[in-house]
Amino acid sequence: MSAGAPPVKPQVKALNCPGCGAALTVRSFNNAVTIVCDSCHSILDAKDPNLQILQRFKVATGEDKPLIPIGTRGKIRGTDYEVIGFERRTILVDGIPYSWHEYVLFNPYKGFRYLTEYNGHWNDVSILKALPEVLPYASPPKVKYLGETYKHFQTARAETAFVLGEFPWQVRVGESAEVTDYVSPPRVLSSEQTGNEVTWSMGEYLSGKDVWRAFRLPASAPDPVGVYENQPSPLSAETRNIWVAFGAFLVVLVAMMIGFDVAARNEQVFTGYYKYNSNQRGEASFVTDVFEVKGHTSNLELTTSTDLNNRWIYLNYALINQDTGQAFDFGREVSYYHGYDSDGSWSEGSANDRVSVPKVPPGRYYLRVEPEGDPGYGMTYYTITVKRDVPQYSFYGIALGALLLPAILLTWRSLSFEHLRWAESDHPPIKLGGDE
Amino acid sequence: MIRTLYVIYGAAVMLGLGIAQYQGWSLATINEVKNVPRSVRDNPGSYRSVYSSYHHYTGGK
Repeated sequence: MSAGAPPVKPQVKALNCPGCGAALTVRSFNNAVTIVCDSCHSILDAKDPNLQILQRFKVATGEDKPLIPIGTRGKIRGTDYEVIGFERRTILVDGIPYSWHEYVLFNPYKGFRYLTEYNGHWNDVSILKALPEVLPYASPPKVKYLGETYKHFQTARAETAFVLGEFPWQVRVGESAEVTDYVSPPRVLSSEQTGNEVTWSMGEYLSGKDVWRAFRLPASAPDPVGVYENQPSPLSAETRNIWVAFGAFLVVLVAMMIGFDVAARNEQVFTGYYKYNSNQRGEASFVTDVFEVKGHTSNLELTTSTDLNNRWIYLNYALINQDTGQAFDFGREVSYYHGYDSDGSWSEGSANDRVSVPKVPPGRYYLRVEPEGDPGYGMTYYTITVKRDVPQYSFYGIALGALLLPAILLTWRSLSFEHLRWAESDHPPIKLGGDE
Repeated sequence: MIRTLYVIYGAAVMLGLGIAQYQGWSLATINEVKNVPRSVRDNPGSYRSVYSSYHHYTGGK
């Protein structure tokens, strides 16, 4: 072609069907091997100048109308393609037919490419130029291609049920091939075996919206139904991110625990040794000496250590600020029982008790203590110890639980998605039913 | 989106944890009483604890 000359616009070749005389349009030039007449559904030999009829098929299950009409042009991965062929293929699983559609796309410079559609799930498919490596002894079977491992999903015999347009192979209605899919979402590797010939292809999941946008189709794409074999989980990346964030929070949590542990005063501000005789009548309440509580508003941890043995004691405590009259009123029951029976030895409760009094401002405090016990118990000896600003580890546990909960919920949802995916495979997570 | 929400939520949890630790929060049931008379120090029996009529354990196996 001389420089500056206008490019020659490609023209479609006009032919007529030898079966019904209807006009045929050949879009893929000499690349078509078979052409299907859309009027009488004769499959014609495109390589024969006389367009020999190879097969006439009846549309037994009704004509399938392609969602992307033949002749539509669109841009896939930056390249213009034209839809030139369409077929429906069906597999039988447990006697139930499952059908999907395949669209043959053609670009004069790039060749053929395919789109598949099942229940609103789309795949952009191209033929592999190299063979995947089959991983021996893997269960379920796996193959490796370009460093990525694909897990076996399903093997089934697929039958061609309906064809329309042009095909770069000798297509026939009723022909069948063993189709095996290996998945690594969003990709799927498929092998099709007919006799001794095996063809490998790779599909990448596309949303209906992307297909509609690529081909500028009117209205909107049909909504996808269920989870498809190589449909990427919308939650898998999020789940990974959440666990990464959880790990970061865990580091912060541990750092906080160490930091608050180091910074806590953990200072003993009072201790007293007392006894209580439950056989004695009269006023049992008493007050302790005044003790100084320093630092910022924080907790006070009060420990009661007793010599209880198969008994209980109840202590009404009031921590009273001598200057302001503010009091923290609480009761603690301490009980310890143990014994031996037919099940062996047992014990219940503890002779010691610990409680944290929250948000105690600094000041001068004393304790008002009122012990109670069953008459007849006699003497109980106990020690009261008060500590200032003691770390409370239960809050770390609560925070850990609060951080874990969303991560676990998201993981569970993500696993549910995978469960739905694999439920449709040859390797369902739970085998339902049994041999009857 | 979910990650951003989780980071905000997690930051709020950590902030709450920090406040709880610094201010010394507790899970125990404590009743706060205002203006306890100074006379309690001399006469402890005059103070009436809200827990004085609490049901006491009488158990063991």
